[in-house]
Amino acid sequence: MNHSIKTKLLSVFDDIQFSTREQNRLEISVEKQVVPAVLSFLKNQGYNHLGLISCVDWIEERTFELLYILSAYMKDDEVHMEDDKINILVKTRISREKPVCISAIPIFEIAEPYEREIHELFGIHFEGHPRLTPLFLEREYSIPPFRKDFDTKEYVKTVFDSVPFVTEKALEK
Amino acid sequence: MDRNQLIKWLQAPAKMGHKYSLHAVYFCTGCGIIEVPPSITARWDAERFGVLPVATPRQANLFLITGYVSVKTLRAIIRTYEQMPEPKYTVGFGSCPINGGMYWDSYNTIKHLDKYIPIDGWIAGCMPRPEAIFVAVTHLWTLIDKDMADGYKRYFQNYHAYRRNQEQILGKLEWPPLFSIEAKQ
Repeated sequence: MNHSIKTKLLSVFDDIQFSTREQNRLEISVEKQVVPAVLSFLKNQGYNHLGLISCVDWIEERTFELLYILSAYMKDDEVHMEDDKINILVKTRISREKPVCISAIPIFEIAEPYEREIHELFGIHFEGHPRLTPLFLEREYSIPPFRKDFDTKEYVKTVFDSVPFVTEKALEK
Repeated sequence: MDRNQLIKWLQAPAKMGHKYSLHAVYFCTGCGIIEVPPSITARWDAERFGVLPVATPRQANLFLITGYVSVKTLRAIIRTYEQMPEPKYTVGFGSCPINGGMYWDSYNTIKHLDKYIPIDGWIAGCMPRPEAIFVAVTHLWTLIDKDMADGYKRYFQNYHAYRRNQEQILGKLEWPPLFSIEAKQ
């Protein structure tokens, strides 16, 4: 399926792997340095909608996997094959010891909240992001809570279970 | 009007008024709020029971906590609860406010809501059907009749303990204490 986009990508980028786990879904694995270039290339090819940036913590392999989901909004008068209506998943691996990646905001502006969320929950720093401030969480955490080595049971035991029940005195009549 | 209740109306008209006009704060906490729109609209019609959602906590006397409570929501719940005029009744809806439910090991969801504000009744289930709201409302009527729905009195009586628990989770609270924070003898 969709040989045109594959050949186009291969003609521009060298170190790039393809896999197709499901129909209508093309997975691309690239190095983290070329992610902005790949995203901008795909945007010019018509894949102009960044649906989600997600992150997976592969703790055994000591890496984080960032996942960019792209899809295309095609206009009716645009010439396209049926095969062009696919989702493209751009995957990249970054080291767990030094989790730094380049921000995708110059290409897709919508990347801002996703990157902020990933920074808060996984502790990945995005270079070029204007404000990596807390988004959801209020409390302090020793390590970001979505990492696999964050011990939620221990955290719940020390924080929420340590609050005592209110022992109520009898009401004044 | 039910003629059997006439004597109750004459004895304690204010209590009967509170009982039959439970105005609920339209406060959305978590997923349980999805059961509230069908219960207040024509399909189940909560107004048969005098239950009506109102716009602000200043007009309300029933607080339904519908679902899991994150740390940030807890702050809003306490502020809303303290703004409501007395008498006020709180009902925990769903299993998450009771003991955490499926969020029993979550990094950001409090377990046991009754450590932070007093609760008059619980509706168990994940999720409870709208009928369960009406079972809870009729049960709350019985409690009000017997003067057993006394959560707001317990809050006044044990305010130092509740406030201490709230500050333990939320840090320093930015609003002044509602009552005196000294322990009552």
